[in-house]
Amino acid sequence: MKILLAVLLLMLAASGTGVVLTRTPLRQVLALSVNGAVLALLFMALQAPDVAFAEIVVGAAAVPLLFLVVLASIRMDRSPRAPDRL
Amino acid sequence: MSPKIRLLVFLAAVVCILPAVGRLALQMPAFGAHPLPYGDAIDAAAPGERHVTNMVSAINFDYRGFDTLGEEFMLLCAVTGTVVLLRGHRGEALEARPGIVRGRAIAPRSEAVALISRLTAPVIVLFGVYVALHAMTTPGGGFQGGVIIATGMLLAFFGDGYPGWRRVSNSKVLDAFEGGGAALYALCGFASMLLGLPFLTNFLPIGTLKDVFSGGLMLVENAGVGLAVTGSFLLLFLEFLEETRTKKPKDGP
Amino acid sequence: MNWLPWAVAAWLLGIGLYGVVTSRNYVHLIGCLSVVQAATYVLLLGVGYRWNAVAPIFYDHPPGTPSVDPVVQALVLTDVVIGATVTALLLAMALQLHKNRETLDPQQLRPLRE
Repeated sequence: MKILLAVLLLMLAASGTGVVLTRTPLRQVLALSVNGAVLALLFMALQAPDVAFAEIVVGAAAVPLLFLVVLASIRMDRSPRAPDRL
Repeated sequence: MSPKIRLLVFLAAVVCILPAVGRLALQMPAFGAHPLPYGDAIDAAAPGERHVTNMVSAINFDYRGFDTLGEEFMLLCAVTGTVVLLRGHRGEALEARPGIVRGRAIAPRSEAVALISRLTAPVIVLFGVYVALHAMTTPGGGFQGGVIIATGMLLAFFGDGYPGWRRVSNSKVLDAFEGGGAALYALCGFASMLLGLPFLTNFLPIGTLKDVFSGGLMLVENAGVGLAVTGSFLLLFLEFLEETRTKKPKDGP
Repeated sequence: MNWLPWAVAAWLLGIGLYGVVTSRNYVHLIGCLSVVQAATYVLLLGVGYRWNAVAPIFYDHPPGTPSVDPVVQALVLTDVVIGATVTALLLAMALQLHKNRETLDPQQLRPLRE
């Protein structure tokens, strides 16, 4: 159990760093989804099933979806000048 | 201030705070030592007093029910702010033509996606209702069940496209869900005041242990929270997806 | 192992704040804010943990078996759901910002510019 918790905590630190260091918003959405999944696994290992329920649905499905929809409408709204990176 | 100066100020702050953080991390109680007596007191008292087996729900809806009322109104405020920002700019008329990005082909929807979405969406919604109902016995509750139901109904958008999504989501019904859920929670508190008891006292019969319908007033509050969370998340999805429709013809070539 | 959860929480807070300070895109900034939120969840749940204890659900175990702390779990549970809603509000504000000012770069959006 100690090893499982230590590994999950280190994985969470790595995925959090991945979310920050991914500068492109479109790729950061995937990093956010991975972060949410690792967080939910950590909550299960910490004996918190209620919280893991909420986190896996919100962190891996709902919030990345909102991000993707906002990025899609930003891309649609952009006037057709020189295409800048999204 | 310029970005380099901002970064330097941030790093200077980190260097100043880091010794304090390190000393604090080493002086915190060891991980697993658990010096919290409030949780143990609730574990000992709640199954006998309230006949529930889910301690987290007992805390959310009974022992700290007032805090959950505040959280629910925070939810209401955040969703109201989002809806006012997005709907106010766009107006209340709803377009149905998809927005286009220049130079990008629209992929046709695959039949496998439509079939799997149609098969699994009712199952997921039913599972969400199960999770929301069994708040008092097994891990679950209004918050978790509400988000599961909302995500299950979103599969209608993936499987059947925008017309299918518009058929299952009606913004007036969702407004009623969200406001009605928050109002139901507040009315539970006032109902106990009508009987002369303090706000949010559990006055309904509390049932037997390990039964689905136990806990008294906690079930009604749980239903209110589940309705409010479902309505809130579906309303958020609806408003954001509306933003991807074409709003007015762009002037230009 | 005694100090690892506190160290991970402090690290996530620090790296999230670094992301907020040096961000060039408001949507990226909102993602970094959710990393800071994750730091608080780890800290709260780490405080309530107890070795060889069960979850605070007494459906299969008799009431009285040592369990982890349910109070911090109640705090984190409502926080997860409400935090997602506040993230949605921030995303709506970023969308309006893009519509009005045509850019999402914090460096180019100084107040009282024109």
